[in-house]
Amino acid sequence: MNLFFANKKTICLTFGLLIMSGFGVNAYSQKVPIDFNSFHGYTKTQTYLKDVAKKYPNITQLVEIGRSNFDRPINLLIISNQKTGNTIDQYVELRNMRKEGINNVPKMTSDLGKPGFWISGATHGNEYTGTEVSLYIIDKLVSGYGNDENITRLVDEQAFYICPIVNADGVYNSVEIGIPQRQNSKLKDDDKDGKMNEDGPDDLNDDGFYTQFRYKDPKGTYIMDETDPRLMIRLEKDEKTAKERWSVIREDKDNDNDGKRGEDSEFGIDMNRNFSEKWFKDEGMKGGQGDYPFSEPETRALAEFFTNHPNIYMAQFYHTSGGYTIRPCGTQSPASMHSNDVAVYDMVMGKKYLELLGEEIPKAYLYPDSISFYKEELKKTSKNKYAIQRGYEFTHGWTTSYDEIVDKNIQFGFQSDWAFMQWGVYATTTELWNIRKDIKDIPEFTGEDAYLKTQRAVLKYQDEKFGGKLFIPWEKYKHPELGDGEIGGWIPMYGSNNAFPGQPLIDVCETHWQFELFRAQLMPKVVIKEASAKVLYSATAAEAEAMMKDNKVNIKKGNSIGNYKIVEVTATIENMGKLATQRANGEQLPLNREDVVWLIGDRDKVTFLQGDAYQKLGVIQGKLKIPGYKPIPPRDASQQRGFYGMPAPKEPRGEEPEKKEMGSTREVKWLVAVEDNSPLQIVVSSQKGGTQVKSLTIK
Amino acid sequence: MQVKYIIASMLLTVSLSLTVNAQEKKQTQPGGYHGELDFVMSWKHYYSYNDWTKIMHDMQKKYPNLASIESIGKSRMGKDQYLLTITAKKTGMDTEKPAMWVDGAIHGNEVNGIMCSLYTAWYLLTRYDYDPYVFEMLNKTTFYILPGLNVDANESYVKFPNTENNPREPYRPEDNDGDGLYDEDQTEDVDGDGELTTMYKEDPNGMFKLSIDGRRFEMITDKAEKVMRFNRIGSEGFDNDGDGSINEDDLGGPDPNRNFPSDWNLQAGNPYPMSESETRNVFEFQLAHPNIFASFHFHNTGRLIMFSRPPQARDNRTPEQVAQAKTRFDQQLAERRKENKYAQAFDYQVQKGYETDMETQTKIVEMGARILKNYRPTPSGGQGQAQASSYEMLGNYAYLIELWGSPVFAADKNDDGRITEEEYVEFVDIELNGEGWINPYQFNHPDLGEIWMGGSLKKHIGRTPPARYIEMEAEKNAQFVMYCASQFPKVEIESIEVTPAVHNLLWVDVIVKNDKVYPTVSDRTIKLGDYVKDKIFFNSSGNIELLEITDESTTIPTNTSSAKAKSSGTKETEFLLGGEDSLRIRYLVKTNGADGWIEFNTESVNGGKDKKRIEIDSM
Repeated sequence: MNLFFANKKTICLTFGLLIMSGFGVNAYSQKVPIDFNSFHGYTKTQTYLKDVAKKYPNITQLVEIGRSNFDRPINLLIISNQKTGNTIDQYVELRNMRKEGINNVPKMTSDLGKPGFWISGATHGNEYTGTEVSLYIIDKLVSGYGNDENITRLVDEQAFYICPIVNADGVYNSVEIGIPQRQNSKLKDDDKDGKMNEDGPDDLNDDGFYTQFRYKDPKGTYIMDETDPRLMIRLEKDEKTAKERWSVIREDKDNDNDGKRGEDSEFGIDMNRNFSEKWFKDEGMKGGQGDYPFSEPETRALAEFFTNHPNIYMAQFYHTSGGYTIRPCGTQSPASMHSNDVAVYDMVMGKKYLELLGEEIPKAYLYPDSISFYKEELKKTSKNKYAIQRGYEFTHGWTTSYDEIVDKNIQFGFQSDWAFMQWGVYATTTELWNIRKDIKDIPEFTGEDAYLKTQRAVLKYQDEKFGGKLFIPWEKYKHPELGDGEIGGWIPMYGSNNAFPGQPLIDVCETHWQFELFRAQLMPKVVIKEASAKVLYSATAAEAEAMMKDNKVNIKKGNSIGNYKIVEVTATIENMGKLATQRANGEQLPLNREDVVWLIGDRDKVTFLQGDAYQKLGVIQGKLKIPGYKPIPPRDASQQRGFYGMPAPKEPRGEEPEKKEMGSTREVKWLVAVEDNSPLQIVVSSQKGGTQVKSLTIK
Repeated sequence: MQVKYIIASMLLTVSLSLTVNAQEKKQTQPGGYHGELDFVMSWKHYYSYNDWTKIMHDMQKKYPNLASIESIGKSRMGKDQYLLTITAKKTGMDTEKPAMWVDGAIHGNEVNGIMCSLYTAWYLLTRYDYDPYVFEMLNKTTFYILPGLNVDANESYVKFPNTENNPREPYRPEDNDGDGLYDEDQTEDVDGDGELTTMYKEDPNGMFKLSIDGRRFEMITDKAEKVMRFNRIGSEGFDNDGDGSINEDDLGGPDPNRNFPSDWNLQAGNPYPMSESETRNVFEFQLAHPNIFASFHFHNTGRLIMFSRPPQARDNRTPEQVAQAKTRFDQQLAERRKENKYAQAFDYQVQKGYETDMETQTKIVEMGARILKNYRPTPSGGQGQAQASSYEMLGNYAYLIELWGSPVFAADKNDDGRITEEEYVEFVDIELNGEGWINPYQFNHPDLGEIWMGGSLKKHIGRTPPARYIEMEAEKNAQFVMYCASQFPKVEIESIEVTPAVHNLLWVDVIVKNDKVYPTVSDRTIKLGDYVKDKIFFNSSGNIELLEITDESTTIPTNTSSAKAKSSGTKETEFLLGGEDSLRIRYLVKTNGADGWIEFNTESVNGGKDKKRIEIDSM
């Protein structure tokens, strides 16, 4: 059957009154109202993004970054003041270019001159809580702009790239159709019968929902819960029971008469295994999913966007569920991470995240001065050598996906590891929603049947708060292949994977908005603090061949051609942000670079006597003092990256005194000969810390 | 009752793949006509993109029964990547036959590969009606030929002034010098003379001087020498961005032959695997065509046959053991080379399960060394290379050919194995009639003032051959490609032997063979797991019944060349054949004594189909 033409009834759930009484989602007036009483799914999300782009043209821009397998646009909203932001290509005049007229370099957009923050949801189609959190963040940013001083500053100075739905097809099928789909919809013939997607799940009783079918089966692995017969309890392997056995399957039949049910659905591949970080296992065998890394149009859209937005500094990839955040590296040993990045992640972000969740914070985060004591303690109690090295174990709320005890990676081709390892982005994957912790009304059960008790409580909660509308009561049905049984169960959309709409969802959104707001305020901000152009000497052209040696200007006398001033330009560059302009050694990644500062002038009227037109500044450190963080000394020139077919960089740019600095400021100096008071500008361009311009007045 | 049998002569010995072709081609004479004037074109010319793609279209129009043309996608700047599919359409669709992939010029400047690929296509097309070798090959094999892969850079290299080394990459913008700008300082033909040469500037501390004949700049060896000194600035160009450096951020991004997925690394293959449309279109095509069995990738330069190597075994030997083995290896190879100067062997231990691939590749490149003469075979792999991904991810036997090379034989007068600049100039003067060298001259550069330019080679001499040698390179490389295609596996039923067992039982032994060098499935494909085994089907008249037997119940005679043997009691039996390999399969049948027949059919995805039947008459 074709899912696109499925006869789908509209799901109408009215529980707004129960949840929303007297609660306003946003303190500021919204030009585009939004509520979280139901899931937006693919279609409504696109409508919302378009409406926001239309109503807030000065601070937003809607970009289609790609299309899904089924040709659905993958839309992203850029939130950043369109009128602020400088890019280096506006200032450097190019001349005498190749006659062929190759036009392969696009003009830079203003957001590229600001630190970027990537936020995406629903890489897995059935994890659309991330979509809702993304929309919540969009609403906070656009409606807060001009009202909240802090938000206004962030939207002016930074660029938020928010892609609520990466997996357009998966979300469409999960929400609009009602079939939970983790994967994308890559066309493939799962059962190799020459037909594609010919046998997916079915709405057998035509009630508009793809739920479950249960039937009595002597070989079944379920029994009915006596307390709440709506619940089916799965037996342990080889568990004996005197009770009647049942089987529970998806609502499904054999559509192509091959003896199998649901063996060739629209499900494609898991896109969070399709990124290029550790996609392969040993011997070059496939570890991740897809034919090759970035084989999918959706993942490639992300890769291409990151390629064209090297200003991205921070990233969040929302998933569900579990109620925790995983930071890199899951795909490889913790030894692959620099201790500075461990400190930034755990001591800064992890600490804040656990505070927001209200969970226990490792003592080492709180009392970093005592870290050697905690290491000694762990030596006695822990089997985790990495925890002993760090001085703390991870907690439920803040962790990695690497198995540190076994010392083995479990995942291949993981997106946040890719962003961190290959782009130097402080990326995280947050698994939103923990049904036990995030619904305040459900008590925390302990003991052997805690899971079952929670299940019963959640079902009861649903009865009370949602009028029982999230769970379809079991009704008799005669299955064409399996005979008598019953259809019913949780509507998959509201299963345990995603936050319940209404207040539980709003609570999750608010917590994570606070976390991302905190992280946005960590990003670097490079500014030109002071700059001056001092006339040392008025000269003729020949005299302009003066050189500065040993901090003293030596000027040769000669014949006069025109009137020049020998000008000394000095500037102080400072990173006012909390974190450094690159993660540890991030500037060494092939697509990243050091911060640079240009002195721009009319090329026919300005001659550089000392210092080239641009100088490299290394990585400028941030202002935040972080326990365990030690700035890395700059590499010497011999270790700098060469590139194919070109000689190694001729000399270290930006001469010694500046280069050796490791702090959050840089002093730079040039000596130039300027004709006719031709104007000068200083442009500092930090790849991830912003581009700033200052015009100089020659004194 | 005793039953006597007369084994009838085999009645049907026709290979299915050839049944449709009624006529056989007559053997032609070496000096005879082979169709070369049916499609006239010059092989002493480098064509521009518009020209060579037009030639492809013209070829397809001229040979519609053999050739199809399609664009597999577009380059960054929107040029089509045209592919010729060449096979005899009357014998089946291209996808039904094992195929050879041929591409050229993934590096934009290595346009020699365009000509070799195009030549291969031309040779196959023009000869089909005249040459039985080509006729048979196109009847059972498909060729996918993509002459130029990196079409944007290919076009620039041929049409515009360039050095021999650029442009090389697809036009993905890249910030080579880390100044925040992309591709902003490229090489330029400063004086507009149509050549891109080298710039020198007078400098009292320089390391170069003009040679006595005034044709070259040479390194100063005597530090004290009192002479006008020069500093080498580099390739011709302007300081486009005014930063004091020249050509420090040239056109294009990462190396396209590091952009493929297998063993990809960020440093060389950035920004991400298959990021470039030019490379991705190729890999997607290959993925969609599992009938591709082997592939050729033409590069310049160095006269190398680089074959995709199987994974290397972990070497647990001591350094002494390694040294001993090396000595033994060298001795054995030297011994073999007394008989055959092209003999090849590689001191390279493969992982378990890859022995057939290593053996096959060694045999193939040994023949390559013979066909290509002074080309050197060498194992290669990994690093996101196209040929590595072809083997490692798709299981295809893959070859990277470094075409051309410094004209060692012609220019190396003192035979010391290397060519000095002096020798090079002499080679140019004598054998290229002076075409190919730029003598130094003075020029007033807008950014640098008074400079000298020249003292270097023109393009199409060092890296890509002078046009007069294109055909020479193309001809032998086309031969090697065709040799490989001729060695694609061919599964045949060699014989059926029937011997009485006891009572009314008969042993039926069928021998299947593959006389070609390639196995029916590569070791790598087997490891990757997605493949179909060769199959043999038993069929018989109603009076003959196939019996189940176990390996233990029968001893299979080994009085044939076939070392391998197995028994079967099922109508469908799976097997795999290596290169130059055969297999005896023994069946046990029961007959009622009446006249009857037994028929065997083989099906191999890469080795084609065969069928043989035997009549069993009662007496």
